Amino acid sequence: MTTPVADAIRHLDAAAPTDARAVSRRRRIAIGAMLVAIAVLVGVAGATTPSFLTFDNLLVVIRNASITGIVALGMSFVTISGNLFALSAEELAILAACVFAWLMHAGFGLAPSLGATLLMTAAGGAVQGAIIAVGADPIITTLAFGALFRGLASLVTGNQNIELGSRAAVWIGTGRPLGVPTQSWAFILLTLAAWFALDRTRFGRQVVLTGANRAAAAASGLRVGQAALVGVTLLGIGCGLVGISAASQFGLAAANLFGGLDIDVVAAILVGGIALAGGQGSPIQAALGATFIALMQNFMLLHDLSTGVRMVVVGCLVAAATCAFHVMQQRRA
Amino acid sequence: MRGIAKHYGSVAALQGVDFTLARGEVMALLGENGAGKSTLVKILAGLERPDSGTIELGGHPVKLRSPGQSLQAGVAYVTQELSIVGALSVAENICLGGDSRAIWTAKRLADQVRPHLALVGLGEVDPAMPAGALSLAQQQLVEIARLLSRNARILILDEPTAALSDAEIEKVKAVVRRLAEEGRSVIYVTHRLGEVFEIADRVTIFRNGRSFPPVRVQDIDIDALIEHLLGRRLDQMFPARSGNRGEIVLSARDLIAPGLATPVSFDLRAGEMLGLAGQLGSGAAALVRAIAGVLPRERGTVLLRGRALRPDSLREAIAHGIAYCSDDRKRDGIFAVRRVVENLTAPSLSRITVGGLLSRQRERDIARRLASFFEIAAGRFASQAGKLSGGNQQKVALGKWLGTEPAVLLVEEPTRGVDVGARAEIYRHLRALADRGLAIVFASSDNQEVLGLADSVASFFRGRIVRIVPTEQLDEAALLRDVTHPAALGVGAEP
Repeated sequence: MTTPVADAIRHLDAAAPTDARAVSRRRRIAIGAMLVAIAVLVGVAGATTPSFLTFDNLLVVIRNASITGIVALGMSFVTISGNLFALSAEELAILAACVFAWLMHAGFGLAPSLGATLLMTAAGGAVQGAIIAVGADPIITTLAFGALFRGLASLVTGNQNIELGSRAAVWIGTGRPLGVPTQSWAFILLTLAAWFALDRTRFGRQVVLTGANRAAAAASGLRVGQAALVGVTLLGIGCGLVGISAASQFGLAAANLFGGLDIDVVAAILVGGIALAGGQGSPIQAALGATFIALMQNFMLLHDLSTGVRMVVVGCLVAAATCAFHVMQQRRA
Repeated sequence: MRGIAKHYGSVAALQGVDFTLARGEVMALLGENGAGKSTLVKILAGLERPDSGTIELGGHPVKLRSPGQSLQAGVAYVTQELSIVGALSVAENICLGGDSRAIWTAKRLADQVRPHLALVGLGEVDPAMPAGALSLAQQQLVEIARLLSRNARILILDEPTAALSDAEIEKVKAVVRRLAEEGRSVIYVTHRLGEVFEIADRVTIFRNGRSFPPVRVQDIDIDALIEHLLGRRLDQMFPARSGNRGEIVLSARDLIAPGLATPVSFDLRAGEMLGLAGQLGSGAAALVRAIAGVLPRERGTVLLRGRALRPDSLREAIAHGIAYCSDDRKRDGIFAVRRVVENLTAPSLSRITVGGLLSRQRERDIARRLASFFEIAAGRFASQAGKLSGGNQQKVALGKWLGTEPAVLLVEEPTRGVDVGARAEIYRHLRALADRGLAIVFASSDNQEVLGLADSVASFFRGRIVRIVPTEQLDEAALLRDVTHPAALGVGAEP
C-alpha cells in the first residue's frame, strides 16, 4: 500500500526532468527560433537579391543592426523590469546627436563633448526612470519626455543641419577596427555586458524579480524602484552612444535622424520573445531581435519598397507579435 | 458522469472517475490539492474536456464543450475568484452576460432581480447600489444569484468560504441549504472538513485522480473522513509544544495602526508562538502588518531585541531580522514565473552575492538548506514556482525567509488554500522553527489552527484586542465567543 505522501514525492520526481528545465528551455527555444529566422532571411535575401551579399551592403546591415541593437539592449532592461517600453529612445538619441554636433561645432573638443553628451543622456534616462520608479505609467511618462527631447533637439539645431566642423570624431562613426565597424564592436561588447549584468549580478536579479512580481519584490525587501531607475538610465546611455555615432558617421546632425527607431526597437523586443509582462527574457533575445529587424529593413530597402510600405510591414509585425504573446499568455493562464 | 479520464501531458489528473449527483442534494467534494476534484468540476462546467467518459444530465447524455453549453444545460460554476464588477450596480451584475434583448431601465432591472436576490438571502440589499460596496460574502451571493437567474439546476461552488470570515460563512451555508431544499443540486468543493458535516448530504472523496463511492455524512465521522482523505491515519494535525523559551525578542508597546482601534502591548520570547485570532477586519491581520511596517504605525513602538524599529519601513524591519509573509502568496509571496531556487533566495540576495556578483554555489547551498528544512523536492528547483501545488507554493513563500536568518517571523493565514496534508506539514515546520529559537506571530481566522498551534493567543474583535492569554486557558467555545461577540466579557462590542 502506498501513501499519498510517497505518491506525491514520486510524482514530484517524475515531473522534475521534464519540468525542471522549463524556464531555460523556453529561452533557448526563443533564441533558437530567432537564429533560424535570421539564417532563413539571410538565405532568402542572398538568393533573391544580388546586391544583398555585397561587402558594402553587409557593412550597412551590421551597422544598422548595431544601432537598433544597442538601444534594444537598454530597452530589454526596461521591459524585463516590468515597465513595458520607454517610447522616448529615438528622441533621446536625436537629442544626443544634435547636442554632440553642437558641442563639437562650438569647439569644445572631442572628449568634453563626448562626456557632456553621455552625461546628458544618462540624466535624461535617470529622470524618466525616477518618475517611473515611484509608480507613474512608463508609456505615458516616456511619451511625454519623447516630445520634450524632440522639442529640445529642434531648439538646439534651430531646425538646421549642424555640421561637426571637426574630423576628430570621424573614427567613432566610420572606423572599422579589424574590419568590423565601431558600432558593431560596441554592440557585441554591450550584449555580453548586458547579459552578464542581468544574469550574474545582484542588480540583474533585482531587475528580474521586480519584473516578475513587483509586490513580492517589495515584500522581500528589494529596492523595486532601483530596477526602473537604473534600467532607463542604461537605456539613456545607449541612446547617447547611438546618437554620437550617427552624428560622427555623417559629420552632421539634424532633428530628423533615426526615423522609426522606436518602433524598430519595440519590434526587436517582441520578435526576440521577451515577455511583455516582465520578469522573463534575456538581452541576448533583444540583440537577436534587433538583428532580425535590421536585416528585414535592409531586404525591403534593396527591393525598393517605400518608407510607407516598410512602416506597414513593421507595424504588422509588432501587432502580430503582441497578439501572439497575448494568446500564449491566455493559454498558459 | 461515468468513467471520466483526463490527462495533462503524462500526468493523469483523473483515472476513470464515476460521479453521481441527485436532485436537491448537497454533495461535498473533498480531496488534497491535485487529487482531481477541481478537474472534475471543470469538466462539468465545460472548462476542460475529458479524454474519455460520458456525462448524463437527467438521464440524457450531454456534451459539455464550453462554459456556454454547460450553462445552457443548467450547470453553473462559481469560482474562487469572483467575477463581480464593482462599479456596476447589484442588478446590473446579476444581468451581466445574460441574453435579454429588452431595453434596460434601472427599475425594470431591479424588479427582475429582486426574486433572485431574495433567494440568496440578499432581499434587503438595494439592487441599485454598486456591487463593490458589498462585503466579499455578499458579492459571492450576488454571483450565485446571477447563476440562479439563468435557471441553473446544478451549482458548483469551488471553496466558496476560503476568503470569508465565520459569520459570513454562515450566510453562504444557509443559502446553499435553501437552494437544495428548492430542488437544485449543489456541488460544494471545500478544504474545511467541518463544513462537510454542517451542510452536505453526501460526500465524495478524491484521492490521486480516483474517486470513492459517495458516503452519507451521517455514516461517517471526522476522523474517518481524514483517514479516507489521506489514506493513512493522521495521528496529530498539530505538533507537540515544547517549553523552551529564550529572551524577549519582540515587544509591542501601545501600538495603534489603521484597523487597530485600541492600543496593543505584548512581549514575545524566542521560541514562542503567538496566535492572533479574529475574523476578517478584526484587527488581527492589521497588527501583524503594523509590526512588519507594511501598515504605518500611528502610535506606539515596536522593539526588536530592545531596539525600536521605524514605524513605516518593511525594508528596515527585514534588515533587522523580521520576516513577513502575507495572506496572499500569489500577490506578494512568490515570483510565479521565476524558478523555485530564485524564489527561495529573493529576500537574502546579500548572502548570495560577492562584490555585487551572484554566486551560484552559495545560491544553491542556501536553497538546498531551506528546501530540505521545508521538504521541497530539490528536483523542482528549476521549475517555475507558479507551477507548484498550493501547499508547495506556501512552503516556498514561508521557506524563503529562513535565508535571512530572522529573529521574528510574522505570518498571516499560514495555511490559506492549502490542503489537509500540507497543512499538517506546515504546522510541523513552524513549530520546528520556533524550537530553533524563532519567535513567531501568526494571524488566523481559523480558530482550530490558533488553538492547536499557538503557545499564547490574542483574540481580536472589530479592531480591538479582547485579551491575551496562554492557550491552555482557552477552549474552542471561549475563543469563538471572543472573536464573534465578546460583550459578555465586558469588552465594548460596539466600535
